[in-house]
Amino acid sequence: MLDKLLNRLLPIVCFVCTLLTFLLLVGVISYVFSRGFSALSWEFLSTPTKEAGSAGGILYQILGTLILGFGTTIFVSPLAYGYALIHSFFLKSGKRKRLMSVFIYSLNGFPSIIFGIFGFFLFVKFLGWGKSWLAGGILLALVSLPTVTVAIIERIKEIPSLHKEAAYAMGFNGEKVAWSVIIPQSLGGYFTGLFLGLARAIGETAPILFTATVFAGATLPTGVSQSPVLSLPYHLFVLAQDSYNPQALTNGWGAALVLIGIVFTLSFLALPARMIVHQKAKNDE
Amino acid sequence: MFKKYWVFSLLLILTLLGKSFAAEKPLRINGSTTVNPVVTEAAEILSQRWQRPIYVDTQGGSSGGISSIGDHLIDIGMISKPLSEKDRKRYPKIDFVVTQIGTDALALVVNKDVVEGGVKALSKEEVKAIYEKKITNWKEVGGKDQAIFFYNKEPGRGTWEVFAKWVYTKIKLVPPVSHAEVGGNEEARTKVGTTPGSITQLSASWAQEGGSIVALGIKLDDGSVIYPTKKNIKERLYPLVRPLNLITNKTPEGINKDFINYVLSDEGQQLVKKHGYMSLNEF
Amino acid sequence: MIRKASFFFSFLCLIFFSAIVIFLFTESLPIWKSEGASFFSRKLWYYRNESFGLLAMVFGTVWVSILALGIAAPIGLGTAIYISEYSGGKARLFLKVLVELLAGVPSVVYGLLGVLVLRGWIRQTFSLQSGDTLLTAGILLAIMILPTLVSLSEDALQGVPRRYREASRAMGLTKVQAIIYTLLPSAKTGLISSGLLALGRALGETIAVFLVIGRADNRLPKTLFSLKPLVEAGQTLTSKLGGSEVNLAYGDPLHWGAICGAALVLLSMALVAYIIGELLIFQAPER
Repeated sequence: MLDKLLNRLLPIVCFVCTLLTFLLLVGVISYVFSRGFSALSWEFLSTPTKEAGSAGGILYQILGTLILGFGTTIFVSPLAYGYALIHSFFLKSGKRKRLMSVFIYSLNGFPSIIFGIFGFFLFVKFLGWGKSWLAGGILLALVSLPTVTVAIIERIKEIPSLHKEAAYAMGFNGEKVAWSVIIPQSLGGYFTGLFLGLARAIGETAPILFTATVFAGATLPTGVSQSPVLSLPYHLFVLAQDSYNPQALTNGWGAALVLIGIVFTLSFLALPARMIVHQKAKNDE
Repeated sequence: MFKKYWVFSLLLILTLLGKSFAAEKPLRINGSTTVNPVVTEAAEILSQRWQRPIYVDTQGGSSGGISSIGDHLIDIGMISKPLSEKDRKRYPKIDFVVTQIGTDALALVVNKDVVEGGVKALSKEEVKAIYEKKITNWKEVGGKDQAIFFYNKEPGRGTWEVFAKWVYTKIKLVPPVSHAEVGGNEEARTKVGTTPGSITQLSASWAQEGGSIVALGIKLDDGSVIYPTKKNIKERLYPLVRPLNLITNKTPEGINKDFINYVLSDEGQQLVKKHGYMSLNEF
Repeated sequence: MIRKASFFFSFLCLIFFSAIVIFLFTESLPIWKSEGASFFSRKLWYYRNESFGLLAMVFGTVWVSILALGIAAPIGLGTAIYISEYSGGKARLFLKVLVELLAGVPSVVYGLLGVLVLRGWIRQTFSLQSGDTLLTAGILLAIMILPTLVSLSEDALQGVPRRYREASRAMGLTKVQAIIYTLLPSAKTGLISSGLLALGRALGETIAVFLVIGRADNRLPKTLFSLKPLVEAGQTLTSKLGGSEVNLAYGDPLHWGAICGAALVLLSMALVAYIIGELLIFQAPER
C-alpha cells in the first residue's frame, strides 16, 4: 500500500523539486535581467560613475574587476600548477599524496571573509600597502586556488600512462617528461579550472572589502601600494544598501547584470570541458 | 630554519614591492557617510580639474576616518562629529588638525507611518526610554498601537556618538542594547523606509520632504516642539547639531590644503548646501 | 628546474594557508588569555565595556546554517534524484550544466535580491514588522547553496554503479523501490558529504547574510528551542566580521583579539564541516 503510494508520489515530488529549483534560480537571473536591462547602454559601460552611483556609468568598476582578475590569474597559475605537478606527477608516496589531496580540497572550506581579515592585517596594516589591487589579486588567488588546482590534477590523472612511458623510454628524465607530456596535455584542465576559479573569485566581495577596493575615485592603478581599484561587487554591495535612491538602484541592477554577465561568460568558457566530464560520469557506469 | 628564511624573504619581497611601486601620490579620503556626498562630488570635480586620482571611501564611518589617519593610510578623514579627546589619545603620535566644512542637524528619523499615526516629536527622556526598550510601542508616546523597531547606528559611526552624547552625556554611560544595526546613512534610510514603525538616528537632511522617511521634532523641557528646519538650526533653537569636519595629520599642506580650501571656497560651500547641510556662513 | 619551482610554489600554498591559521591564533591570544572558555559561553558582546562573548553569534550562525540546509537539502535531493534517475541523456546534461552555471551567481547579487525582494516578502508573508530576520538570511542562503547541493548529490547518485540498479530491477523491485532501497542507501555517504560541503559554504557566507540579517547583537532566546528568534533580527559570526568593528578593533589588542578569535571559531566550524565532508567522499567505495 505504502509502496504503491510511493511509486506514484516519488517521481512527482522529485519533479516538483526540480521545477522549484530551476524556477528559483532562473527566476533570480531573469529578475536581475528585467530590472537591470534598462540601465544598460554603451554609455553606461563606458563612462565613469558620477554622484556616488546615481549617475554616470560603471567603466572603472568593470576595469577594476578585470584588473583583479588579472592579478588573480598571475598568482594562482604558478601556485596551482606547482601544487598539481607535485601532487600528481613528482610525488610517488601514497600517504603524502592523500594528505595533499585533503589539504587542497579543504581550502574550499575557508570562508572568504577570513581572507579579508587576514589581508587587512597583512597587506593593509602590517606591510603598509593601504588598499591595493595586488593585495586583492593575491587574496582572490587563494580563493580560486583549490578550483584551479583540482582541475589540473583531474586532467593529469587522465593522461594515458602510455604517453609517459613512451617519454621515459626515449630517455627523458622527470623534468623533461613534465615539460613535454604532462604540462602540454593538462593545459586544457588548467584553462577550465582558471575560468571556473575566476568566475568564483571575481564575484567575491568579502576578501576585497577591507583590502583592495574603494567606493569612488580610483581609476587605473599606477603602482602597488596605495593603489585601490573600483570593483563591481563592492559597488553593488554599497548600492544594495542605498536602494532609497531610485536612480542609484537602477544603476545597481545594471551593474549586477554586468557582473553576472562576466561570471557567466567565464563559466561558458569552461563549459565544453564540463560537458565531457558529465558525459563520462554517465558512460563510466 | 629553512622555513623561517622563506617566510622572512617572502615578507621582504612583498614589502619592497609595495615600497618601490608606490603609486604617484594620490589623494586618499575615508570616513563618514554623512560628509561623503559633498566630498565625493568635490573629488569628482577636482580630479577632473587636476588630472590626478582622488580616492573616496566610507569604510567604518567617522571612526574609520580617524583610525585610517592614525595609521597613515589616508590623507584626509571625514568625520561627522567633534573630534574627542579619546580619539586624540588613541593616536598620541598624530597631530590631528580639524577643519569644519559645514553643520548638520541630527534627527530621529522614522518611517512615515509613525508620523501618520500621530507621533511628530519626542522628548529626550522618551528617546532614552525607547533606546533602552522601556517604551516599546508607539501608543505610549501618543501614536497608534504599533511596535517600535529601532535601527541603531553601528559602532564607530559619528551619528551614533553624537546621539549617545546628547542622550547620555557620556558614551561610557550608554547601556548595552540589542537593536538591529545599520551602517551608512544610505542603509539607514533604506531600511527605515521599508520597515513600518521603525526609527533610527540619521542626519536630518537625508529625510527629504515627501519621502518614505520623516525627521521627528524634539520636545524640549518647556513643552515646546522644535523641528530640524534650517531656520531653527540657524537660530540655535534645535539642540541636536553637529559639525561636519575634515581631519588631517598636521596642518594641511600641498594637495591636502588645496582640496580643503576648495571645499571651504564658495563653490565648495555650494556643494555643502546642495546636499542639505548648513554652509559655514549659514551657521 | 620545474621540479624545484613546483616544490617552491606548493610550499608557498602551504605557507599562505598556515600563515592565516597562525595569524588568527596568535592575534587572538589576548582574548583566550583574558576570557578562556567563557569566550564561548558569555552572552554579552559589548566592546565599549570590554565584554566579549560569542554565544549569541554562534547561536545565530548555527540557526541560519541549519535553516539553510533544512530548506535546501530536501529540495536539492529531490532535484538530484530527478536529474539522475528520471531525465535522460541530453536533458540531464543540460540540467546539470545549468545548475553549475547558476552556482556561480555572486553572493552580492543574492544580497541585492535579499534586501530588495526577500525582505519585503518575508515581512508580508509572516506579517512581521521588519524583514531583517534569521529566517530571511536562512532562506537566502538556502537558495544560494541549492545549486552546489544539487550538483554534488547528483554526482553521488551517479557514482552508484549501474549494476546495482539492474540487480534491483531483476529482483522485481519497481524503479521507485530501487531508488529507495538500493540507490539512496548506496549513495548515503556521498549524499551526507554533499550536505556537509554545502553546510560549510553556508557557515562561511558573509555578504548576503550581512545585508539581510539585521545585525542585532546579543539576541538569545529565553528557551533553547524557542522559534521566536527566527523571525527576529540577529547576528552571525560572519556578519560581525564583515562589519565596522574590524576597523575599530585594530590597535586595541583585546578587541582585535576578540575579532580574530571570532574569525578562528568561524574557520574551525566551516573547516570541520568541510573536511569531514571531503573525507567521506574519499572513503566512498565508488571513488
